[in-house]
Formats: sequence, structure tokens, C-alpha cells
Amino acid sequence: MRTLENSNPIATAVFFLCAAGIAMFSRDPVITGLSLIGAVLLWMIQGEGGHWFLAVFLLAGTLVNPLFNHKGSMVLFVLNNNPVTLEALLYGALSSAMVVATIYWFRSFSKIMTSDKLLYILGSTMPKLSLILSMALRYVPLFSRQAKTVSDAQKTLGLYREENWIDNIRGKIRVFSVMVTWTLENGIITADSMEARGYGAGRRSFFSIYRFTLRDVLFLTGSLLLTAISLLAMYGGDTPAVVSFYPALEVISVKNWPIKTWVSYISYGILVFLPAVAKVGEEIKWKYLQSKI
Amino acid sequence: MEILTVENLSFTYPESCRKAVNNVSFGVEKGEFIALCGATGSGKSTLLRLLKRELTPLGELTGRVMLRNADIREMSICDSAGKVGFVMQRPEQQIVTDKVWHELAFGLENLGTPQKEMRRRVAEISEYFGISGWFDKRVDELSGGQKQLLNLAAVMVMQPELLILDEPTAQLDPIAAADFIATLHKLNRELGLTIIIAEHRLEDVIPICDKLMVMNSGMLQLYLPPRLATQKLNEYPALLKSMPASVRIYHGLNKKETACPLTIREGADFITGNFENQIKKIDFCMKAAPGTPVLEMEDVWFRYAKSMPDVLKGTGFAAYKGEIFCLLGGNGSGKSTLLKTAAGVVKAYRGQIKVLGKRTEKYKENSLYKECLAFLPQDAQTVFLKNTVREELAEVGGAERIPQKLFALLSGKEIFDLHPYDLSGGEQQLVALAKVLAAKPQLLLLDEPTKGLDARTKEEVIELLKELRNEGMAIVIVTHDVEFAAETADRCAMFFRGEVIAEDVPEQFFASNNFYTTAANRMTREHYENVVTVEQAIALCSRNEERSGS
Amino acid sequence: MIVIRNEKLRRMMKIAFLFLIPAVIVIGALISEEKSYAPVSLAVTVLALGLFLCGFEQKKIGTRRLVTVAVMVALSVVGRFIPLFKPITALTIITAIYIGGEAGFLVGSLSAVISNFYFGQGPWTPFQMLAWGMIGLLAGLFAKQLKASRIVLVLYGVLSGAAFSVVMDIWTVLWYNEGLVWELYSAAIVAALPHTILYAVSNMIFLMLFAKPFGEKLERVKKKYGI
Repeated sequence: MRTLENSNPIATAVFFLCAAGIAMFSRDPVITGLSLIGAVLLWMIQGEGGHWFLAVFLLAGTLVNPLFNHKGSMVLFVLNNNPVTLEALLYGALSSAMVVATIYWFRSFSKIMTSDKLLYILGSTMPKLSLILSMALRYVPLFSRQAKTVSDAQKTLGLYREENWIDNIRGKIRVFSVMVTWTLENGIITADSMEARGYGAGRRSFFSIYRFTLRDVLFLTGSLLLTAISLLAMYGGDTPAVVSFYPALEVISVKNWPIKTWVSYISYGILVFLPAVAKVGEEIKWKYLQSKI
Repeated sequence: MEILTVENLSFTYPESCRKAVNNVSFGVEKGEFIALCGATGSGKSTLLRLLKRELTPLGELTGRVMLRNADIREMSICDSAGKVGFVMQRPEQQIVTDKVWHELAFGLENLGTPQKEMRRRVAEISEYFGISGWFDKRVDELSGGQKQLLNLAAVMVMQPELLILDEPTAQLDPIAAADFIATLHKLNRELGLTIIIAEHRLEDVIPICDKLMVMNSGMLQLYLPPRLATQKLNEYPALLKSMPASVRIYHGLNKKETACPLTIREGADFITGNFENQIKKIDFCMKAAPGTPVLEMEDVWFRYAKSMPDVLKGTGFAAYKGEIFCLLGGNGSGKSTLLKTAAGVVKAYRGQIKVLGKRTEKYKENSLYKECLAFLPQDAQTVFLKNTVREELAEVGGAERIPQKLFALLSGKEIFDLHPYDLSGGEQQLVALAKVLAAKPQLLLLDEPTKGLDARTKEEVIELLKELRNEGMAIVIVTHDVEFAAETADRCAMFFRGEVIAEDVPEQFFASNNFYTTAANRMTREHYENVVTVEQAIALCSRNEERSGS
Repeated sequence: MIVIRNEKLRRMMKIAFLFLIPAVIVIGALISEEKSYAPVSLAVTVLALGLFLCGFEQKKIGTRRLVTVAVMVALSVVGRFIPLFKPITALTIITAIYIGGEAGFLVGSLSAVISNFYFGQGPWTPFQMLAWGMIGLLAGLFAKQLKASRIVLVLYGVLSGAAFSVVMDIWTVLWYNEGLVWELYSAAIVAALPHTILYAVSNMIFLMLFAKPFGEKLERVKKKYGI
């Protein structure tokens, strides 16, 4: 299997959809745990950091729930005549872990699924929309740079002062106003250039620099299969939840876990750790190839 | 074989009583390279747009345009889009998508070309244009020259039979412009591509074109091989100004019996063949001792961010009251940054900058920009905010604050009620200049003021700057237009690797440069010693005796 | 499939459909504590968005209009350089009243995606898209009234800004807690209050200052180039 960055965007997107989709809506502590570890691991193998904010968020999210949510029977203490319960605290922890895991998944998603890849997926189904997005993405850096130039020019006209903050905002608004004219008027040249190259001539075809290989097919079907198994095992039939919070905390101990639960956990676990395994596999392969040189 | 036939073509814009294009007929053979010239407003842009159906403006149109005997207004959409390629002036605005590869494929996508075919054509074209190295880049990472090359490649990928270009090099620096024209020449030579190009800068185009087309107030005046056409140009003095130096010298010396020289080498042969060189030098008066310094920069260092390299490395120079100081330098040499630092737009991290003897940091609030210093960046459109020119000028104080001469010039053009974006590039430049001059500055900083200007506006700008100088203003200009610097500057210097070097008067500055010099200087350097401008060349040749029997 | 011939009716149905879905979700969430509301509402939102955008794909749309939409989207992302201003809502409304509700919808929803390229995508992206899109669509529907009176326009801007954050908070709580706990929801609203107020005020100022000049600029381009 290839690493996530090098797979076909469709396969990659489906992977994220499966991994994050289950993570987002499951309230099973094991699934959430697996999801959190898998998501953090994926974020880290891309050499990224920035965990502090989310760690604080996790803690805060855990503490907030019991303050506002008073369901549950194990009262820890009473605050302002409201009971603070163990169930609510644990539930808060689980919910926050789920949110944090989801944010990690989306972080990796944003990093790996570059605009190119998203436009590739969108382009085959919604060509017009994908074109507008592509143009907007092209305009954003162009406009930012132009806004800087306009700001330089406007500043030296001496019509506002930067030291005074109201004046400063007024100046920025002036710059923005200049930008609106500039962008709208010059946009017409873009439109001309598009029509000169036959835009609107009829059915567009779609150029892509990505290919769909056998490995991508395998990765894609693998992701879907594992997800399906995991979901079926968890929700098909009436598999009891391992932990239920309200009205009172009930936990099924590990040795009593039904087989279906195990199947669900294992298949989701495999899914979540696939990218990390692929990455490590690649590293080993390169080390081996290099040692032979 | 005739590939393009234009028959009695006339066009009138709505709400206009004058024909923008007036009964034009001509034919173009396959593989010809046609250069189209004419002053701003002569109708050349309109004519070019009429040759491409998708870009035909709204208005009243009569006559026919035929491509290979098929009327372009009756062709299928795919044929019409694909067979005629069109490249416009602004490189930045013609690009549609965010990635180089996507831009190359854009035209083919529009025509519904199958994936496999697209891959082949895109690969082929990027190899031919040398784009493979930046195939995966985002377009905003490219330089201006690369962007325009991408626009050309994105049109060529559709395999047009006729390529039309409307001032494609106006926004490029001279080196990128020459490269671009060289690429066109290569396309013409190697692929037999038929090309029609409208240009302001004709130095590079005239020597390689097969025919020169001259337009004047909507009518086709000349359509001849360049040597014949240039010979007849004395009938159009306004157009002569935009011609290569060799052609201008030829007409200035009035030697009708010889053929008109088109290139620098031919120009040099023309001069050495026809004129003696007993007098080798023109006299120029050294300026009196400089007046009071208006701008002083001392050991200035600047970088955009801590992690980035220095752009200014101990830059130091001074500009004095009543002089025009031109800083020349290549693209990306940091000369615009130098100007921004001087204007107080960005802050130097070391060294000091004094304006009128006072350090720029000491100017509180915006007093630096009130009757002290004015700065105009490259893009004149950056100063426009209002709906009409009148409102633009009123915003900064109206007629009494703008130099009289400039105001009279603008009044003469009857543009006060137009939207600033409806003006030509040259008019925009003049209005922008009026806006910054309303602050009544003593120091004027200009960044590439001649970019995209036609010969006439350029002359107007030069005249205006000289007048301002005579009134005592100090003007600092950064530019890569050597001809402009030679004609305008009192002192020139080079800006290279963050330092100002080789300060001198233009006559000596350009005469001591071997590569970075004007066409007139290159043409005469073997024969005479310090000729820099066309006028000087003509004057010196006339003072020398004519060679007999040549 | 039933084809509705009447153009107006079809448009009305499309709009009704767009509003019906979120309404059903919210009401549903209020009356029951069924656990699957968060995923269902996400799915429905994505579907509604998809439906609208597909409808747009089928339509013929002028190149210049297309470019104008792209320009407005980019502007609303770039416009964040003005301190305290987040111009998405205001620009969406202005586009909608001058170029049409559909363009407004596109500007609103695409601005959400693009700005999230820079500020982080998440499960909230589809909701933001739909919310901003609908602000645009509605503004387009009442374009005449909004153009006529600046007070109505500013009011619309402030209300839509407030509604935006209220709706977004509902889903956040739904998702976080599998059901709507009023205490938690009101806490979320209160926590977001300073932000909401700032946002509403900035919308107000922006619309007051700009609706007219920007509108004139759009009108000019529209007239000059026949959009």
C-alpha cells in the first residue's frame, strides 16, 4: 500500500470519510480511543505538532459538561445547589475526546488533501463549481499581494494616519474599496481569456494529474469493507454498548465483551492504523533499498 | 496560401459616432509574421478583437473576416475557439486557474478533449516551452515573464492556426519581453505559425516581421514589408517615435537613397558607411555643483522577514533639489523595495534615511506625505477609488493643487467624466501622477513610470518630469527602461545586489556600459564616443561630413 | 419523476426545500433526544447543499457572472486583513442583492470552504456553507426591499449574523452531547455572545458604509460588460 499522501485522492478522501465518520458519531470509549490515537499518530507522522491547544480543549471540554449537565446518579459534590455527577464528567471526557479526535482527523485531511486533490474529486462531478473554486484559490494570493501594493500607494497619498486606530481602519477600508474595483474590472480580462479559449463551448472534459491504480482500488475497497464490518458488528442486531452512562454508569467488563464487539473494534483499529503502517513500511523499504546500494 | 482574409471591415462602438475600424481589408499568407502598430486609439486593439469571434465587442459591425475561406462568424464554437489563439496584455489577469498544469489543460478541457489526448498535448507543450520545471507550481509563484509564457503555452496547446497578440510584452521587463518575442519567432520559424502582433516596443519585432501594418484613426495606412514601410514613415511623425532607434536615426538624417536600417547592426553600418567621424564627441555641460540634498540614504539595510535574505545591503545615495535621478537594475534586484524604504512604506532595520535633512522616523503622523514626499507604485490603478476622473482629482483638492501643465494636458484629453478604468494605460498613469502630485511634494519617487506606455504618452511624461525638475523638485525613478533613463535623467546609477553603484551623468554612465546601454549608444560606440540618445546621434552625424560615393 | 413546469413554482419549492430541512432538524432536536440527530442533520445538510449545487451545475451561466462570483469569494477571504471585520456575510448579501440570490448562495457557501482552507476544515464546514449560502439566497429573494431601504438592509445583516451563530451553536451542542441540553446550549450562546455582538456590529458598519459604493461598482461592471 502507498502512503496516504501518494494515494489517489478519491481513495484518500474515502479513507478520511470512514475513519472520521465513525469517530464523529460513535460514543464508544474504545472506538473513540482508537480514533484519537490513530488521528494523533497520523498527524505526527507528517511531522506536525501543535498539540497544546487541543490538550487544553480536551480538559476544558471534560469539565464543562458536568457543570451544565446534571444527569446521572453518582454525585461527586454539589455546586450551587446542582449536583455534579461522575457520569456527566466521564461523558464530558468522552465527548471532548471525540471532538478532539475529529479535529485531528480534519487537520490531517486539510494537510493531505490539498486543493488540487479536492478539485480533482469535485471536478469530475461538478466542473463549474470546481472551476470557481480553482479561480478563487488563484485570486486569494493575488489579491493579498495587490492589497499590500494598494495599501502602500494609499498610505503615501497621506489621506489617513496609521498611528490612529480609527484612521487606520478607515484606511484599510479604503484599500479594500480600491481592491473591489480593481478585482471586478480586471476580472473581465479573465472572463475574456476564458471565452477566447472556448469556455462554454459545450461539455467540458476534465484533465487530471492523478491516476487510479490497483493499489488505490485495494485501499479504497479495504477502507469501505472495514468500515462496513465495523458498523454492522456494532449496530447490526442488538449488540449492547460496552459503556452506558445515563441514568447510571454501567460498564461491561472486557471478558464479557461479545464477539461482535471485538470484531467491530478490531476492524476499526486496522482501518485507523493503515496510514501509519504504510508509512513505516515505506521507511523500512527505503532503508533496505539504501543499504543495498 | 491565404489563411486570413479581411474584407471591408468596419466597426462602430455603441454611443459613438466615429468608426473605430474603418473599411479595413487585407490578407495574410500562411506562416507570415505581421507586426501591427499605431498610436493609442488608432483602433488596433479593436481590429485584433474583431478577428476573434469570442472577443468581438458589442457594436455595429460590417464586412467579413474569413479564416481559410470560412467566415469566422459562421464557424463552429470549437473551431472558432481553437483555431484562433489570442494573448492579451496583462499576464496576471489572463490566467484562470491556480496551478500551472491546470492552466495548460484549461482550453482542452473546454473543447471536451479526451483525457489521453490531453495528457499527450499538455506534456508536449510543456516540453516545447520549457515549462516542465514548474509544471506543478502555483501560478502566483511565477514571475511576470513566466506568466505570459504560460498564457502563450495555454493558447498554443489548442493548436491554433493563427495567433493574435495584443501588446503581450507591455507589462514585462525588457529581458522577459525579448525572450517572449524570441519564443514567438521560434514558433513562427519552426512551426510555420501565422502571427499577428500589436506592439508598442518595436525594437525586437520589426527586424523579424514579414510585414508591418500601420493603423491611423481606424484606417489601414500601410501594409508592406518592414523595410518599405519604415521608409515611408516620415508621413506619420507620431508613429515614428515608437520605431526602433535605427529607423529614427535614418529618418532624422534624411538619406532617402539608402535602404532603411532595421537592426542595431544595420544601423551601425548605416552610420559608419555614410558619415565621417572627425568629431567624435558631443559636448555636454557638466551640471553645476549639486544643490541641497532632498533625500539621503546612508548604509540602509532591509529584509522582509527575519528568515529572509537582505534586499538592501548598506545602500547609500543622495538625490538633490532640482534633479532627476534614475536607478537602473534588473527584475527582482530590489529596486522597488529601495523606493518603498525611501518612501517610509517599509522600515529599514539599520541605517538612516533623511528627507529634507530630517530623519523619516521624526515625521509624525502623516506629515511626511504632506508637501514633502510622494510615491507612485508601478500599477497606477492602485490609487483609483472613485467613479470618475473628476471625483478622483477633487478628492485630492482639484485643479489648484495639480501642476498647471499636467492639468491642462488632462483637460485636453477630455477624460474628466470617464471612469478611471475606462482610460488607456497612459492616461491612467497621468491621472495617477496628478493625484500624487496634488500633495505638492518636494521629492517624487516613481516606480517604473513608463511601463506599458505608448511613445506619445511617454514623451508627455518625460516633458512633465523635466518641468517639475526645473521648478526644483527632486525626482527619483527606478526603471529598467534604459532609453527613458538616457533621455530623462540628470544622473544615473545601477542598483545591483542591494547596493547603488556607478553613479554618473547619463552620457558617461551609458558610454561606459557595454551591455546595459541604449540602442543609439550601441549603434554608434565604434564610431563615436559618447552618444546616448537618438537625438544626440542625429546631431553628431549631421555635424560630421557625409562620406562621398557611398 | 415529476417535472414541475412552472418556473416560479419550481424556484419556490427549491427554496422551501432548503429551509424545510434545517427546520425539521431543529424542531426534531427540540422535541426528542434521539441520539442520531447529529449525524442525520449533517447528512441532510450535505444532501441539501449537494442538491442546490447540482442544480447550479445544470444551469447555463455566463462566464462573466462566473468570474464575478469567484472574485467576490476571494475578496471575502482576503477582506479579513481589515481588523475586526469578517466580510463574508456582508459581501454575500451585497452580491445577492445586486447579482442575484443564486450568486449570493454561491459566494456565501464557497467563501466558507475557501476560508476554511486557511482556518481549518471540520464537520462544521457543510453547516457554514449552508448557513451563509442561505443568507445570500434570502437576500436575493428580498433584493428589492433590501436595496430600497438601508435600515432594512442593516437589520437583515445584523439578524442574519446573529442567526448564523445561533444555528451553528445548536449543532455544536447536538454533536457534543447527543441531544439538546438547554443549559449547555445557553452556556454556549452566552460564551459566544461577545463574538456574536462584535460580528453583528461589524456587519452593520460594513453594510452601512459599503452597500452603496460596492453596489455601484457591481452595477457598473454589470452594465458595462453585460453580466
